[in-house]
Amino acid sequence: MFASACSKLLRRLTFPIRGQRTLSLFSSTGSSSWSKVVSDAEKIVGYPTSFMSLRCLLSDELSNVAMHIRKLVGTQHPLLNTARGFVYDSKNNLQMRGLIVLLLSKAAGPSHAADDALGQDMVSGIYPSQRNLAEIVELINTAFLVHRGVVNLKELTVSDGLLKDMEFGNKMAVLSGDFLLANACTGLAQLNNTEVVELISSAIGDVVQGIYYENYSSAEDGLIDGVDVASWKEHIFLTHGALLAKSCEAAMLLAKHDKQAQMLAYLYGKHLSLGHKLNSDLQPFVKGGMGQPVTFSLNAAPVVFHRQLVGKDRWHQQLQQATTLSNQLDYSKLLATVKSEKGVSSALDLCCFHSNKALEAIKAFPSSKARSALENIAFAVTKF
Amino acid sequence: MAAPGWRHITRWRRGCWGTAVSETLWPVTGRSASSSAPFPGRVGGSSEPGNEVKPSTQILSKSHLGFSLIRPCSRLPSVAALQPLCCRSTHSDAKLEDPFTLAQKDLTTLYDDIKKELFISRTELKSLCDYYFDGRGKAIRPIIVVLMARALNIHSDRSGDLLPGQKAIAMITEMIHTASLVHDDVIDGSDARRGKRSLNEVWGEKKAILAGDFILSAASMALARIGDITVVKVLSQVIEDLVRGEFMQLGSKENENERFKHYLEKTFKKTASLIANSCKAVSILVSSDPEVHEIAYQYGKNVGIAFQLVDDVLDFTSGAQQLGKPSAADLKLGLATGPVLFACQQFPELHAMIMRRFSSKGDVDRAWQYVLKSDGVQQTSFLARRYCQEAIRQVSLLRPSPERDALIRLTELVLSRDK
Repeated sequence: MFASACSKLLRRLTFPIRGQRTLSLFSSTGSSSWSKVVSDAEKIVGYPTSFMSLRCLLSDELSNVAMHIRKLVGTQHPLLNTARGFVYDSKNNLQMRGLIVLLLSKAAGPSHAADDALGQDMVSGIYPSQRNLAEIVELINTAFLVHRGVVNLKELTVSDGLLKDMEFGNKMAVLSGDFLLANACTGLAQLNNTEVVELISSAIGDVVQGIYYENYSSAEDGLIDGVDVASWKEHIFLTHGALLAKSCEAAMLLAKHDKQAQMLAYLYGKHLSLGHKLNSDLQPFVKGGMGQPVTFSLNAAPVVFHRQLVGKDRWHQQLQQATTLSNQLDYSKLLATVKSEKGVSSALDLCCFHSNKALEAIKAFPSSKARSALENIAFAVTKF
Repeated sequence: MAAPGWRHITRWRRGCWGTAVSETLWPVTGRSASSSAPFPGRVGGSSEPGNEVKPSTQILSKSHLGFSLIRPCSRLPSVAALQPLCCRSTHSDAKLEDPFTLAQKDLTTLYDDIKKELFISRTELKSLCDYYFDGRGKAIRPIIVVLMARALNIHSDRSGDLLPGQKAIAMITEMIHTASLVHDDVIDGSDARRGKRSLNEVWGEKKAILAGDFILSAASMALARIGDITVVKVLSQVIEDLVRGEFMQLGSKENENERFKHYLEKTFKKTASLIANSCKAVSILVSSDPEVHEIAYQYGKNVGIAFQLVDDVLDFTSGAQQLGKPSAADLKLGLATGPVLFACQQFPELHAMIMRRFSSKGDVDRAWQYVLKSDGVQQTSFLARRYCQEAIRQVSLLRPSPERDALIRLTELVLSRDK
């Protein structure tokens, strides 16, 4: 009986978070060391501007959307927040994945096999096809940010405003996400490598599955218990790791680097994304930030570890203790509870583990500025 | 009675055939050539089929004039008139379902194959993705693709079964189509599809969008596995066309000729591009002759546009039960399709309604009445017939085979379908 009441409460609590959802896994880290390594890294790859995204942004279709989105100002549709993020967050590593693909391409350098076969000239040590790939990765990532902003119309409440606005926002979100994905598809085909098309398509499938599990599998298994650490790891790899890992691998494929290099690139991309995801999950738990109201996902790494460590019954108890009389979850109280146990340190350990694994993978590439940048980025995910 | 009709049709001919249709057809024909990048020599050649359309257009619109003025309702004579155009059709009318039976042997495992592509362990996402692959769809696209593939194989002296890649394309076509349906239903807020509740109605919009994305990614993987980059490019173009077509539906054009052109271009992108490029894709796998690719593409394009025109007619003529969705659905969505655009030439009152996307109270009913009073439905059906004739002309350039004849017969079925 408690469980059902609690799960009802939680379900109510998870939806309001919608408005403040972090934009992307790479945009939530506020640490200055992170910004520094990124801006240093951008200089190494030459021009970081993404031409394909620019082409998309300037297209008739998206200017059309932009015009329509103005109608959403003053409504509650999440698409508005996503769109805002493109502007405000653009400095803040929104195109992080593309940057890493470029750095890895540069770190791996030209391959013996590629020079004749590709017939393309490197610019700043990166093949044009690798640059295109970097842009495609960003398109895909942005497409999902947009698609995640679709809302379920039947679950709307009065506070969400007019149904008509939400319908319209959904329409725009679906269309613009599809538009970005379609551009990614044609861009992929232009890379002239079916292996790469297959790899990146599979990454798209991974991201879909990841988002699906992350948002709904907990509802299936009963939100209250969440998922165990093992399936949580599986899910965050799909949502936050697969796209970057496979894109890094694809960058090696495009330059015809051998299997070994492909695997190392994959591992770097994988461990870096996971390290970064843990870093952003850990933020509210390691930051002092007094006075600021805290919120965090109940699927954030420290909570998942904590839940597993204390067991189901104690977790239920703790949740109940952190619930106020007005049936709201007191996040500060819950935060203190989680911090008093080993969940945070387990998550920190895992974060360092992934950072080390990423460093280990990148060590195999010849020493260069690009490699140092990748090392610095891998280091930075353990800094808070 | 005859005079206004005559004037109307002449105006229509000048206004629409002269500018709208020709301009719409040309870029489309040209685009197919430009998209077949590996054959740069094709650009010059591709204007050929285009040029051929024009005279035949006039001839046919005259013949339409003939019987539509005298016997407005009898559309059968023109089917008979079609027969000499194509090579001898050997079928008797008793075997109307032939194209479907003929295609069946290559499609027995269609839905099982699709479900294998969508394999994900355990989860609910799997059942969402499988939802529409229940064998209850018409699967008209895979039917066209396998018939085309076999006809092309015979044309190219390759006997025996379909190539594995061709079979895969038939499957991918249905997957891309379904993925776009799933998203369209969210965009349009539809609650029913193929006689059952739509995915978004059952599971909500968020999950439906993810399911559509997943089906698309699975289709894209299967496409890549065929291992032919030209085929990948041809079918990726479809995905872009589908979205651009959907975007085109958002806007309406002030100018009438512009509007008609816009409508046909949208129709190409949203419906015909998939069929045209799938036909082209199966041709690429068996033949290196760009003219053969063009025949396949043109057949698919013309049948595809006809198919959608008939769909737009059925939206006005078919009852809710027959189509599996409520009639006049397009009007309710604010969309002005063929019948309305034609009706607008007889009843300029429709213009304002089109521009405000039938959003004022009573617009949908009034527009509906105007369309029924006008000959918009007949005109649209006639236009569909014209596209089918061009499809027949194209596919008749292939060597005779049961599959080629089935493709010819299929155009009749496209025109005569009532659901």
